[in-house]
Amino acid sequence: MELFLMTITTGIMVGGIYALVALGWVLIYKCSGVLNLAMGEMTLIGAYVSLSFYSMGIPFLLALLFSLIIGLILGILTERIFLDKLIGEPVLTVIMVTVGLSFFFKGMVELIWGTDTRVFTPPVFTIEPIHIGPVIVGQAYLWSFVAAIILLIVFVCFFKYTRWGLAMQATADDEMAALSIGVSARFVYAAAWAIAFMAAGVGGTLLGNINGLNISVGYLGLLVLPAVVLGGLNSVPGAIVGGITIGILQNLAGAYLDKYFPGGIKEIAPFVFMAIFLLFKPHGLWGWERIERV
Amino acid sequence: MSTTWLPCGTYHQNYAQDHAWWQTKFIKGKMILLFIILFVVIPLFADSYLLSVCNQVGYTILGALGVQLLIGFCGQITLGHAAFIAVGAYTSTLLILEFPWPKLMMDYGIAYPFSIIIAAVVAGIWSVLFGLPSARVKGFYLILTTMAAQFITVDFIITQYVSQIGGRGQAFSLPPGTVKVGPWVIDSDLKVYLMMLVLVIFCVVIMVNLLRSRVGRAWVAIRDNDISAEVMGINVVKYKLLAFFVAGFIGGIAGAFWISNIAAISPEHFPWFWSLWLVGVILIGGVGSIHGTIFGSIFMVVVMEALQLAVMPLADIYPKLLMDFLFIKEAVFGLAICMFMMFEPNGLAYRWWQIKNYFNLWPFSY
Repeated sequence: MELFLMTITTGIMVGGIYALVALGWVLIYKCSGVLNLAMGEMTLIGAYVSLSFYSMGIPFLLALLFSLIIGLILGILTERIFLDKLIGEPVLTVIMVTVGLSFFFKGMVELIWGTDTRVFTPPVFTIEPIHIGPVIVGQAYLWSFVAAIILLIVFVCFFKYTRWGLAMQATADDEMAALSIGVSARFVYAAAWAIAFMAAGVGGTLLGNINGLNISVGYLGLLVLPAVVLGGLNSVPGAIVGGITIGILQNLAGAYLDKYFPGGIKEIAPFVFMAIFLLFKPHGLWGWERIERV
Repeated sequence: MSTTWLPCGTYHQNYAQDHAWWQTKFIKGKMILLFIILFVVIPLFADSYLLSVCNQVGYTILGALGVQLLIGFCGQITLGHAAFIAVGAYTSTLLILEFPWPKLMMDYGIAYPFSIIIAAVVAGIWSVLFGLPSARVKGFYLILTTMAAQFITVDFIITQYVSQIGGRGQAFSLPPGTVKVGPWVIDSDLKVYLMMLVLVIFCVVIMVNLLRSRVGRAWVAIRDNDISAEVMGINVVKYKLLAFFVAGFIGGIAGAFWISNIAAISPEHFPWFWSLWLVGVILIGGVGSIHGTIFGSIFMVVVMEALQLAVMPLADIYPKLLMDFLFIKEAVFGLAICMFMMFEPNGLAYRWWQIKNYFNLWPFSY
């Protein structure tokens, strides 16, 4: 029972980070219809940038802020240079451009920062675990979860209550109508990419704090896909629920199935789950079902 | 795009002529010249470096043909084709190493050709298994299931279980002399090259013949609009699964071929990167064209080799470059895909078609 509770708690904590990155993914898809496979490399860039600032001796929160700013700039640049020309192109074209981008980013990250595992030194969070009733949680997990939840709330509030966020919602709902009432679609696309880049960067930084940072943190970008499929591709609450579910599922699989399938079941379980889930409910829990006509 | 340009005054009079392989004397001469170059000139005059580059091109063509079939002709986007190549390679290797072949079959070198066929069929069936979701989902969701195929097959089943067979742990090494076709032991680049030519021609012929038959027309109809295809009486699920089978079959041949060229196989030979690479190859070559597959493979391999040749002299000055070459390669590949998608979305095959078009009635094209 204790193991079960521990696993669930850890799953929820890690799932918070997944939810943050999944939110960025869903924003891009909702606003501009781009299915982004470069998310993992975006997390890498953000994480390495904040690590570089942090190891220069800048306080952690400030380093995180800098990485947010750089994420903002890079997001706008990426959208302007690569994605702007591709709006309305076939799905395969857009997906492969994001795949190309992911290789480009990955190659650049490896060139600049190398492939060795790096850790945040001195550690940002103390190793001393916290006891919540019978459950023991590492501080890194707990604070990462808190940070992820705070950012999630900030982004959702931005989306719901500010003028820019409302413009983004309008574009996501009906681009033509939004254009006719004076919303600049190009601005919205750039904003979506900037937010996604920032969210990915924070997610990568937090995950890098837990396990150390190397190229495999980019795997997070693939884990986002089961999360968004579970929630539905264009649903913001779906992304959050999906992210946390995938986190729990992954940890449960690691704790209980590892006996029967030794080895990497923890990494594979989300994808197996996704493949089966797709067979039964291809539009996710809250996604829009699109009716096709000839 | 697929129509052949005929000289003035020559017309097709029936359907068979319209679909014939070599429609004019000029094309026949051109193709015979190509075959002479491939089968005689290159083996006689090429050194072993050039041959090894050719072998890489051939392997890429074999791998990309299946991707081209699925994406270019049937419209089923796949990002997990390396899984099926891996299944082919591992089936063939295991059959050679572990299966108790009769001594006679080993001596006459039937084991390896036989294992290629079995590997191809197994890979085809494995591919159908992961193509099953295509009956219900399409587009982006299908991409996700094919990705799942890659991770489940290569990163989990092969790495964790298949690699343990025979207690070898990570890699299967093939002792020299085990890969044997008939009386010839495949041990030099030249022999691999000749085998590659035969297999590539075999697979291309299968593909082209399928595409000009009822099956191929059904695939193209599904690609263009699957709902109207269904309305026209095509069994969509059956033909989609058939496309997955043929793609997996060719992928299996590719994998089984490649073990003749490498001394040991391990899961690292079939990463997700390789799946994406193959999709990149057909995008650069041109989607929906057999020419495109071949042009794309040649382009990608030659560009990467040229890049390597350009970087190597610099490595004396900056030794770090040697280590970083893999990353440069990745970045260049990514940028190349982006650039092609933005500026030449129809690929190299379209450019080739335009050139032929221009010279068709040259110099009086009006």
